[in-house]
Amino acid sequence: MATLPWNPGDLAQAETNIRRLAKVLTTRAAIAQTPKEVVWALNKTKLYRYIPVVAESERKPVPLLLVFALMNRPSILDLRPGHSFVEFMVKQGYDVYLLDWGCPGPDDKDLDFGDYALDYLPRAIRKLKAVSGSEEFSMLGWCIGAILVTIYAAVYPDDGLRNLLLLTAPLDFSQKDAITFANWVDERYFDVEKVLQRFGNMPAEMLEYGAKALKPVENYLGSWIRLWDNLDNTKAVESWHAMNTWVTDNIPMPGGAFRQLIVDLYRNDRLMEGTWVLKAKPVDVSRIRANLLTVIAGDDHITPPCQSESIYERVSSTDKESFHIPGGHIGIMAGSQAAKTTWPHMQAWLAARSGHIKTPA
Amino acid sequence: MADSKGEKPYDPFEALRGLRDAGMDAWAKAMTEAIHTDAYAQSSGAMLDAYLTASAPFYESLQKAIAQALQQLNLPSRADFVSLSERLTNIETRLDDMDAKLDRVLAKKSSPVTPAVAARSSRKEAR
Repeated sequence: MATLPWNPGDLAQAETNIRRLAKVLTTRAAIAQTPKEVVWALNKTKLYRYIPVVAESERKPVPLLLVFALMNRPSILDLRPGHSFVEFMVKQGYDVYLLDWGCPGPDDKDLDFGDYALDYLPRAIRKLKAVSGSEEFSMLGWCIGAILVTIYAAVYPDDGLRNLLLLTAPLDFSQKDAITFANWVDERYFDVEKVLQRFGNMPAEMLEYGAKALKPVENYLGSWIRLWDNLDNTKAVESWHAMNTWVTDNIPMPGGAFRQLIVDLYRNDRLMEGTWVLKAKPVDVSRIRANLLTVIAGDDHITPPCQSESIYERVSSTDKESFHIPGGHIGIMAGSQAAKTTWPHMQAWLAARSGHIKTPA
Repeated sequence: MADSKGEKPYDPFEALRGLRDAGMDAWAKAMTEAIHTDAYAQSSGAMLDAYLTASAPFYESLQKAIAQALQQLNLPSRADFVSLSERLTNIETRLDDMDAKLDRVLAKKSSPVTPAVAARSSRKEAR
C-alpha cells in the first residue's frame, strides 16, 4: 500500500538539505588539493610539479606535462580528492607537471599563441627536463591547450616530445556549418577589433556567456534543477559544488591570443591549411612525429568531433590512435564516468609508451 | 526510498517532475536549434556592437577623469602599473635565459662531451 512521503524524519532531512544548499551557494569547494610545488614561473605562468607518492624505482621514467586552456583554470584536472585526474596519474607512478597560464592582466593583452607555445612553453619544458632529469617527456593538451601543444610539437619535433595527447582539440575549423562558434564570430557579425580595443583582453564574463549560451537551458537552468533534485545525495552535491566552483572561476583570455583564435583559426583555418606562421616559424602539423593519442568527445558541443579528427591523418607519427568516447567537452575528463573510462584508457596508452628513456646518442 | 516491502512510496510530485523534465528537454532542443541560426549570430553581434558604440563616450570620459584624478593625487595609473609589469617580465625573462645558460654550463662540466652531445647542443643553440 502506498504511504505518504512525509514523516518527522523528513523534516530533519529537509533541514539538512537547506543547510547543504546554503553551503553550496555561499562557499567555494576545496578543489586542486593534490600536493604540488612551483618549480618555475615567468610573468603569470607557473609550472607545478606534483609531489610523487610512488617510490622512485616504480615511477614511469618519462614525465608528463599537462597544458590546459588559456581562459579557464587548470584546476579541472585536479578537481577534488578521490576524483582528480592528476591524483590518479600521480598514484599510477607518473612524474606529473602542470602548466598554469595564470590570470592575464592589462600588460598581457598582446600575448598571442606564438608567445605561449613558442616562448613560455619551451622555457617551461626546459625547466621540466632539468628538474626531472629526463630529456624525453609526454605532453597532454586539452581544449585551447591542445592547440598550444600542437604548435609546439609541430615547430619543435626533435625536442624530446615522446607522447602527445590531445583532448577535445579544436584544430580543424574547415567545417564551419558544424561549429556554432564559427557562425557567431563570423566577420559579418562580430567585430573582434572593437571588442579588444575596449577591453584589451577578452573578458571572462563574455567567454563564460559564450560557452554557456551554446546550451542555454542546460547551463542556466538544468544545472540548478539537477542540484535541487539531488540535495539529499551527499556525493552528488559535493560533485556539483566542486564543478560549480570551477565553472564560475573563469579568467580573461589575452587579447592577442583571442584575436588569433578568431581571425586565424575560426575564420581562416590557418593551422590545418598550413599557412599559420608564428614568431617567423611556420606551423606545419605534418612535422609532428611524437606518438599521438587524440581523445574525442562524441557529444562535445564546444569542440565538435569534426574539429579533432583530421589531425590523425595529418601528422607523421607512426604510432597513433584516435579514441572516441561518449560525453561532453568537460564531462569526459571530469564527469562521474571519467575515472572508469577516459583516465584508464589514457593511462594504459601512456604507460605502454613511458618506459625506458633513450640514452643520448 | 523503498519501504520495508520494497514498494516505492507514493510521491505526488513525481508526475510534475516528469512533466517538467519533458518540457525542459523540448525547450533545450528548441533553444539549441535557435542559437545555431544566422539570425541569432546576427542579433547577438548587433547587441554587442550597440553596447560598445553607445557606451564608448561614457567609457572614454570615465577613463580620462580617473587618469586626471590619479595624476592630481600623485597616484600611479593603470598605464604606470602596466609599464612596471612589462619591465618586471623582461627582467624575469632575462633571468630565465641566464638560468638556462647556467644549466648548460653545469651540464657540460659534469658530463664528458661526446661528439654527438656537442652536435646536439650546438643545434639547439643555433635554433
